[in-house]
Amino acid sequence: MENNDASSPERKLQCSDVSKCFQLLERILDGEHVEGGNEMLQEKLDKCQPCFAHFHLEQAIREVLKTKCTKQPLPDKLAESIRQMIQDAR
Amino acid sequence: MSEVQRRKYSQEERSTIFDGEFMPHIDSMYNFAFRLTFDEDDAKDLVQDTYMKAFRFINSFEQGTNAKAWLFRILKNSFINDYRKKSKKPATVDYQEVETFYNSDDVDYQSTSDLRAESVRDMLGDEISNALNGLAVDFRTVIILADLEGFTYEEMAKILDIPIGTVRSRLHRARNLLKDTLKGYAQSMGYGRDEEED
Repeated sequence: MENNDASSPERKLQCSDVSKCFQLLERILDGEHVEGGNEMLQEKLDKCQPCFAHFHLEQAIREVLKTKCTKQPLPDKLAESIRQMIQDAR
Repeated sequence: MSEVQRRKYSQEERSTIFDGEFMPHIDSMYNFAFRLTFDEDDAKDLVQDTYMKAFRFINSFEQGTNAKAWLFRILKNSFINDYRKKSKKPATVDYQEVETFYNSDDVDYQSTSDLRAESVRDMLGDEISNALNGLAVDFRTVIILADLEGFTYEEMAKILDIPIGTVRSRLHRARNLLKDTLKGYAQSMGYGRDEEED
């Protein structure tokens, strides 16, 4: 999984079931429980170039979304005004 | 998340739940609201409305359960029922139509081999944010929930009131649309496919 080589002579260049494989890879990346997922993932990354490329692209997408998206600072006094509204509603 | 169960919290318990379980999520709530509305005042109003509703319906919340998902569900519903209706800007894409067009859960998973992981990692935060903000609200929402806030498919299904299969397929489509935009950025940066092969 840590092998980031873009191509390897040991990997086949065509995936026999892109739809099924990519769906599986995405579920694993999204943290869903997949029976035997680790073994299947390792097999696909070692032996299938389209799966390898798709996995790393999808992983990069998730990573940049998580780490690079600009965060909006919480406006001053928003928390305070909510507490006040709740206080008034009691 | 269940709203069927009813209990009666004391005044003190309500304060404990509100301060201890609801308020810690205000940052995420505000960011979610801002990414839905793109307007500071609307986002503030949406968060305030959500917390007011959360307080009003606090007896439907089971102490110690997933407060963040419960709050996000209220916020999402408030956005759909109140803000989206009064918004002067119509949604650019009606996801219902899009999903019907794409035949619901039956998604064709295809390779987007001309976008490379390395190019994506080289992109700036502004480019990633702009690409996300450019998505239709329903696609944007699933990416925010999954990738920025870390909700599971099951939690997202509850927040959005849709089946897990639809969560999965909508997320897949949303990320594909995002990749299309990022591919455009990558090409404009000169990270074409040929130049990356080495």
